[in-house]
Amino acid sequence: MEFLKINHLKVYYPIRGGFFRRVNDYVRAVDDISFELRSGETYGLVGESGCGKTTTGRTVIGLIKATAGEILLEGKDIAKLSSREFSRYRRDIQMIFQDPYSSLNPKKRVLDIIAEPLRNFERLSPQEEKRKVQYFVEKVGLHADSIYKYPHEFSGGQRQRIGIARALTLNPKLIIADEPVSALDVSVQAQVLNFMKEIQKEFQLTYLFISHDLGIIRHMCDRIGIMYRGQFVEEGTSEEIFNNPQHIYTKRLISAIPNADPQKRKEQLALRKQVEEEYTNSFHQYFNHDGKAYRLKRISETHSVAIL
Amino acid sequence: MLKFILRRVVMMIPQLFILSVLVFLLAKAMPGDALTGQLANNPKMDAKTLMEMREKFGLNDPFYVQYARWIKNLLHGDLGLSYIHQQPVTDLLAGRMGNTILLSACILVLTYLIAVPLGVVSGRWQDSWADKLIVGYSYVSFATPLFIFALIMLFVFGFQLGWFPTGGSVDIQIEKGTFDYYINKMNHLLLPSLSGALISTVGIIQYLRSEIIDTKLKDFVKTARAKGVPESRIYSRHILRNSFLPIAAFLGYEITGLIGGSVFLESIFSYPGIGQLFLQSIMQRDYSVVTALVMISGLATLIGTLLSDIILSAVDPRIRIE
Amino acid sequence: MKTELNHSQQTEIQIEKSPSSLSILWREVVKDKLALVSMILLALILLVVYGSAIFLDQEKIVKVDLLSIYAPPSSEHWLGTDYGGRDIFGQLIIGARNSFTIGLAITLISCLIGLIVGLVAGYYGGVIDNIIMRVIDFILVLPFLMLVIVFVAIVPKYNVFTFILIMSAFLWTGKARLIRAKTLAERELDYVSASKTLGTPDWKIISREILPNLSSIIIVNLTLNLAGNIGIESGLSYLGFGLPESTPSLGTLVSYATNPDVLQNKWWVWLPASLLILVMMLCINFIGQALKRAADARQRLG
Repeated sequence: MEFLKINHLKVYYPIRGGFFRRVNDYVRAVDDISFELRSGETYGLVGESGCGKTTTGRTVIGLIKATAGEILLEGKDIAKLSSREFSRYRRDIQMIFQDPYSSLNPKKRVLDIIAEPLRNFERLSPQEEKRKVQYFVEKVGLHADSIYKYPHEFSGGQRQRIGIARALTLNPKLIIADEPVSALDVSVQAQVLNFMKEIQKEFQLTYLFISHDLGIIRHMCDRIGIMYRGQFVEEGTSEEIFNNPQHIYTKRLISAIPNADPQKRKEQLALRKQVEEEYTNSFHQYFNHDGKAYRLKRISETHSVAIL
Repeated sequence: MLKFILRRVVMMIPQLFILSVLVFLLAKAMPGDALTGQLANNPKMDAKTLMEMREKFGLNDPFYVQYARWIKNLLHGDLGLSYIHQQPVTDLLAGRMGNTILLSACILVLTYLIAVPLGVVSGRWQDSWADKLIVGYSYVSFATPLFIFALIMLFVFGFQLGWFPTGGSVDIQIEKGTFDYYINKMNHLLLPSLSGALISTVGIIQYLRSEIIDTKLKDFVKTARAKGVPESRIYSRHILRNSFLPIAAFLGYEITGLIGGSVFLESIFSYPGIGQLFLQSIMQRDYSVVTALVMISGLATLIGTLLSDIILSAVDPRIRIE
Repeated sequence: MKTELNHSQQTEIQIEKSPSSLSILWREVVKDKLALVSMILLALILLVVYGSAIFLDQEKIVKVDLLSIYAPPSSEHWLGTDYGGRDIFGQLIIGARNSFTIGLAITLISCLIGLIVGLVAGYYGGVIDNIIMRVIDFILVLPFLMLVIVFVAIVPKYNVFTFILIMSAFLWTGKARLIRAKTLAERELDYVSASKTLGTPDWKIISREILPNLSSIIIVNLTLNLAGNIGIESGLSYLGFGLPESTPSLGTLVSYATNPDVLQNKWWVWLPASLLILVMMLCINFIGQALKRAADARQRLG
């Protein structure tokens, strides 16, 4: 049995118009996607901004209500639970937010921020609580004394570590990382990412890793799903996606990755031109007349692509 | 745009309905009805005839029947009978309404005449001594309660200096319709409306000031300046045009304040308007007049807000998207 | 484009926000000379008013003394006497105490209602928000002053508490609107989402997470409203529809000026009360404006 299985998930928002504000149409933020996460792996969701990857993540953790579909956590459908019933599964799923500034309450000390989930789920004495918070603070590489400081006294990278410590306190099984480093300086991005890999081993975490940055995705993920306008266009192992992309959208994304090696600049340019040509010539092979992707077709054991 | 106006008007219907129910309930909650008043004036009326009269006037009908009748009369312009003055409320109001509208109009005109230049000066020469003075004035006027200010104005300019008449809307001995009559009327209006205007400028001054200061730094103004457009033209063409339109729209929102203000001003300057009538009626328990006045004021505020909303949305399309 | 811009502005303000915003507010206000003077003056007035009100014998003050009707200020009656020969200075003290206390009570009650309604409407949004906003919009377009006067006139067993209730019933709306707008903005920030994913119940998110971030706005608004409410209360008392006669207010003293003779010739009856109202409202307003500047980081004096 898969650890987490998403079946035909849809998240629609109504568009109202006209005199009586009737629902005319829907924004299909997430339009019928299915994928699964195996325990201990890192699954990457990639796509341009607005493609529905963040919505997917937020729906899995229950911040957004699914319009239709199932979210099976170890076989139990959590998509249709009321928030009260959902709280039992809360501890198993946690989230790392994109913006390390707005995701920490500026009015609270680090101690109170990290202890918040503990206070909700565990009855601990103040000493135990403090010891536990200090353990996690040191785990994420901050000094134990920093628990009495306020978020604004830390740098972006440190703040993100505080956010990670907070997510770890409940011993979750799944962590949804929504662009966890995109708000950070490039110099600290690698630090935080490597640190995330370390704790993944130590705490046996499963990651749902959401990013638009293919370089980071390649560094982090075992398997990858490429999203385009609320749908999957391709899914496969990291190897398959990067070395043998099938869908034209995937190819375009990959050809757009900047190459640091100036020697290969010409090759890169030629590749981009070739992909661009393929895109204009064979558009209808990949998209229907609405510009939507086709259904996913399995082309190998692990690799699926949305083509006719 | 048309859709917005329509929706806005439709939104007003439930508000009107609730307002009318509220006023009707208040009228019912007021001690005594039209007949108890007559009873006081006419000691010959006994309990039996009173009962008959009540039946005849429908005062024993169920609540909703009475409400429906009241609304029907209201729509026909029948606001009932004032038993103190023994005349229809509509006639009573007609004489007073003109005075109050005149006073309110004067206050508005003076407010804009004072506030707009001050706001422009304050925004254009930001941080100059003039700006500091104007901001200081706007803070003080914001903090000053109308009734205190009006009393002091009356005390200083009316009684101590004797520059203005100290009450009424016109001297009685002057013949109606002559030139002197209008001059005299204006003279009576000046002190109350100045008192009202001087302390209601703060909103417009502050709006204009911050609006001008903001616009001053926008790129299109910088571009104009870089092109060599003279400073005075930058203000008249680029900055003020953008800031003035919404100000015109604030007019409708002022109505609530004007109604409240007229109660104080008319009472202090013994000016015969509806504010004064309202206070007198409530003290004399002339409730049909009170009810009519509350209903009319509510209606005026509703329409004022509606107009302002519509003008504002015409000026600034962003407001239309709710 | 526009929303992105707003978002970046929001984050900036978010960074500016610091935990000890109350101490920052305090520091900024003290730095503002005018506000500092206002604060000291107001403190002195309140000290004198509340201090001497304890020692004043209210019975003696309201006792009619026909031998000294409209006596001008003297060593016996510092501010003279009124038409009943009653000491104005004593009435001034009692009136100021009543006006301030009741203004404060109205402010606190309307603030509490406005806060709860605003937080609930802003946090939950949707249908609840829609209904609440319709109600608020409606109350805001009512002719406030007239309705208060009508209520005061028709309420049976009218006393100080009914007055406070009537006023609060109208005055919570402005506050609720402000708090709702701020809550709406705050709700979109990730720390609220984070609290939700951490299993924190809604009431706790509202009271422990969002509320502290609104504290400076609430304090600014509270101060400005306090000044406004003292003004409204004394104004209504001036018209005779404010505090009941058993509880004299500053407005009651000013209302003696409706008699032209008093207004013109016996300034000691009404002018001190008028000036006291004016001074108190100016002081509170200056403090409020300074707080407002302090809460808005962009306007800080540095």
